Amino acid sequence: MAGALAVAPDLELKPRERRLEQETLEHLANWAGRFTPFVSVAADDAVVLEVSRCLRLAGGLTTLVHALQEGVAGLGLTVQLAAAPTPLAACWLARTRPGTLVSAREGWQRCLEPLPVELLAAEESTTNPDLDLLRGIGIHTLGALARLPRDGLARRQGTRLLEALARARGERPDPRLWYEPPERFEAHLALPAAVSTVEPLLFATRRLIAGLAGWLARRHGAIDRLCLELEHERRPSAVVPIATGQPCRDEERLLLLAREHLAVLPLTAPVIGLQLTADSVVTQAGRTQDLFGDAQQARDAGTLLIARLRVRLGPDAVRSLDCRPEHRPELAWCAAEPQSRPEPAVGQAPRQARRPLWLLAEPRALPSLDDLTPVSGPERIESGWWDARDVQRDYYVARNRDAALWWIFRRLDAPGGWYLHGYFG
Amino acid sequence: MNAPAHAPATALPPALSGLVWKAGALARPLRSGWPTGFARLDAALPGGGWPQGAITELLHDEPGVGELQVLLPMLRTAPAERWVAWIAPPCLPYAPALLQAGLPLRQMLLVDAATRPEFVWSVRQALASGACHAVLAWSREIDPPALRRLQLAAEEADTPLFLFRPLRAAQQASPAVLRLRLAATDDGLDVFLLKRRGPVADEAIRLAVHARFRSGGSTHALDCPVPARSAPAGLHAGGR
Repeated sequence: MAGALAVAPDLELKPRERRLEQETLEHLANWAGRFTPFVSVAADDAVVLEVSRCLRLAGGLTTLVHALQEGVAGLGLTVQLAAAPTPLAACWLARTRPGTLVSAREGWQRCLEPLPVELLAAEESTTNPDLDLLRGIGIHTLGALARLPRDGLARRQGTRLLEALARARGERPDPRLWYEPPERFEAHLALPAAVSTVEPLLFATRRLIAGLAGWLARRHGAIDRLCLELEHERRPSAVVPIATGQPCRDEERLLLLAREHLAVLPLTAPVIGLQLTADSVVTQAGRTQDLFGDAQQARDAGTLLIARLRVRLGPDAVRSLDCRPEHRPELAWCAAEPQSRPEPAVGQAPRQARRPLWLLAEPRALPSLDDLTPVSGPERIESGWWDARDVQRDYYVARNRDAALWWIFRRLDAPGGWYLHGYFG
Repeated sequence: MNAPAHAPATALPPALSGLVWKAGALARPLRSGWPTGFARLDAALPGGGWPQGAITELLHDEPGVGELQVLLPMLRTAPAERWVAWIAPPCLPYAPALLQAGLPLRQMLLVDAATRPEFVWSVRQALASGACHAVLAWSREIDPPALRRLQLAAEEADTPLFLFRPLRAAQQASPAVLRLRLAATDDGLDVFLLKRRGPVADEAIRLAVHARFRSGGSTHALDCPVPARSAPAGLHAGGR
């Protein structure tokens, strides 16, 4: 450290945050749940994925590695990656020779031989005097260690060194504790600097949501709401609740919604961190893809469309329609909640005279009838004396000068007069 | 060169005949259109119907000319899992009338878009989602770049967009593949083809819409009681 400060005097020193490191590893483990259910956090710098059972699904080791690398880059992390038939060997290779992919063939253990013995230091069972001894007798690589007479070494060192080596070579079992995703998803992301624009937040949100999607895939779950908190310095954090309309686990969809929510959010203060929480998980089976139909896909797209429009335009700006059994024209319809699986309308087609396709929200008083030619009518509608919205009208269909069809009525009660109520569009 | 100096314009090599469109003939797009439900209109449109995945402009000034009537047969065929989006309609689409016209009422999606950016954004979302059978949109003013973006979105998602615009928009250039001017007449609706992939059409196509009003507008006696008081002078019913 002194040397570094001598070279760069204005170096800013920060203490290592083990808690953050552990959080990042767990975040990565959550995210990796999409590739395989067997994920374990090894030591304090590695995540181990057991992929032998899902290679076929993933389309081979190389394809899987590419997908992993791309995904990790999307999370904003960089990883050193290696594959080997045993977890310990994979960890060692990733530390010293990232990019090595070893498959389980006869004699694969030879790839461990050139690795330095210092790797053993990471194992809890190995102590520094052990390593000093090895270096003292000129053993620098694992290969040289493996060639020593076993019984003599075991007598001097106990079995500690040999045991680690045997586990790495697959001669002893190496059980791992698989990472159990928590019941409730909670991910926190500290931003490297305070942010007062939305763009960097979107990027950070992508990382959080990728983890969420992995967690959901792992639990076979889906959520219909999540909560994004923007942390401010010395102020209570802003809470953005996000509702998806229908349980979903699709990363793209969640991200699109989060993006819409953030885009309309006024940022009152710089943001220093993000927190994403989700509970109330619904179990949902994965979907098999259909060769021909895409009905469910279209339905999902519709749900997403409605949710997006609502975020931007407001919840009341998007609606569907239904009929009500009622004679008064302005009460014969009602707004309905758009359903993801539209049912047939509740109301029946009225058996009355033709109704106009356009209805004015408020009838418009007509000063004169000069330009109008009657086409049909009258149709009397007299109803509603029991509530305060009594209606006594004679409806006519008339053409105006441009031959457009209007739906007009005459009030029979005071104060009378002619009104335009709709257009036959 | 053995070819005669003035080769007749019609003598195209047979291999090219499907690829070259001559302006004197109706274009035959690779994908046929949605049938409009009006045989005379189908015959005049390239592809024999409404273009799929493109903008169709319907120009008229006031509501009530029968502008929705031309679309009703196409809207009736909406599959159960798709929406028909109505974006910024000028008045309220009246549910009982839609039901009378045989439309699947619960698949209508009404969207209020107050400002122009919101309007364009909503139309694009509706097109791009791929969840809509057709998108109907009403716009007073829309600039050409926005129109081009909408055309691209419609092409990409293969969803037809029906854009209702005022008559003065006919002066503006537009990327729409089909532009129709609608005018009401006493016995139906006149459709003028302002732009299509085909020869210039001067004559209007007359469609029989609102047929029921011409036959005297008779309704069921129970539904339509005779008014007790006499109708005022100047407006008498059922003259025809």
